[in-house]
Amino acid sequence: MAEIPFPLPDLGEGLIEATVLEWLVAEGEQVERNQPLVEVETTKSALELPSPQSGKVLKVHGAPGDVIKVGEPLIVFEVPDDTAGIVGTVPSDEAPKRRRVRLNANLDED
Amino acid sequence: MTMATGRHAGASAQHTVEGTDPGLNVQTFEPDTAAALPPVLLIHGFASSVALNWEQSGWISALLAAGRRVIAVDLPGHGLSAAPEDVDSYSPSRIRADLLQIATDAGARPLAAGHPDSGLDLIGYSLGSRLAWEFGATQPALVRRLVLGGPSGRDPLAEFDLAAAQRFLADGTPIEDESTAALVTMALASPGSDMYALLSLVEAIKEEPFDAAEAVPRQPILIAAGEKDERAAGIEALQSLVPQAQVVLIPGRNHVNAVTARAFKQAAIDFLSQ
Repeated sequence: MAEIPFPLPDLGEGLIEATVLEWLVAEGEQVERNQPLVEVETTKSALELPSPQSGKVLKVHGAPGDVIKVGEPLIVFEVPDDTAGIVGTVPSDEAPKRRRVRLNANLDED
Repeated sequence: MTMATGRHAGASAQHTVEGTDPGLNVQTFEPDTAAALPPVLLIHGFASSVALNWEQSGWISALLAAGRRVIAVDLPGHGLSAAPEDVDSYSPSRIRADLLQIATDAGARPLAAGHPDSGLDLIGYSLGSRLAWEFGATQPALVRRLVLGGPSGRDPLAEFDLAAAQRFLADGTPIEDESTAALVTMALASPGSDMYALLSLVEAIKEEPFDAAEAVPRQPILIAAGEKDERAAGIEALQSLVPQAQVVLIPGRNHVNAVTARAFKQAAIDFLSQ
């Protein structure tokens, strides 16, 4: 099994941090790609972050009310080794017409 | 032409609804598996947009997962919609007329017995709830059910201090009125907001302030608001007009962050699936 950490993504608009409102998944839970993971609030709006992949939630960072900076750890997934390599690819059936906030694997920080 | 007397009589104006394209951004979303239920029209709040109020907040994906067809519209001067220069383009009555046209163009049809997918369900937030209230009240043959999020019995936009906001934008003179200052801060923070258009909307709303008692929706209604929603003061006044309404208060949430709450979405989806 491989551990894949995801940081809080760049939310655009010059935002540098977000406050956790509510986790919608729990540690140990199996989640599907695009399943809502967490509600966060910035100085501009509240938003829901969808899961970038399917996998088992190993760890969530931040309780409701905690502030997480962009780039800091948000969630860690556990996935079978043979699927770890495709993490972070954008599914081809999704061609969003406009920019949407998405989590990306933190591949630079290994 | 004789105008009816009433609180709007003094502010009567000629509006040019026919023949002008309001340039509103309309997005429709189709579920993978459609439920036998009417489409849902989403009406966002002041200084918000389809993207902020409904997309990034997870509403559209939640409604699609529930099998609902979704029609979402950016209000004039908001999101990807045009920002016309004339104030009339922003009047609530003009916006309601445009929404009716848009919903009809998107396939919404009057309620018909034996056709569970006929009619139209509405979800509004904040200013969108005011528009939904009036739309439902004036379109009983079309509108089936209403969800009013973060509604206000009063009209914070009609009470907006326009002159103070204009002074603030011109030379930074602080705005004394707390509600006006908060609305300006919110508008400035809103990505890509067109302040000129937002002030035109306020001006138009001052000509047609919300008067909940003037037209009262008779449909089943769900009222939902954050328990700490400072702008939803006066929900009781609305409730007294619509005793059929169910009310859901979302623990710990305010006007901004009640939007994403799962409890709100689930209550709305359950209510609209009846």
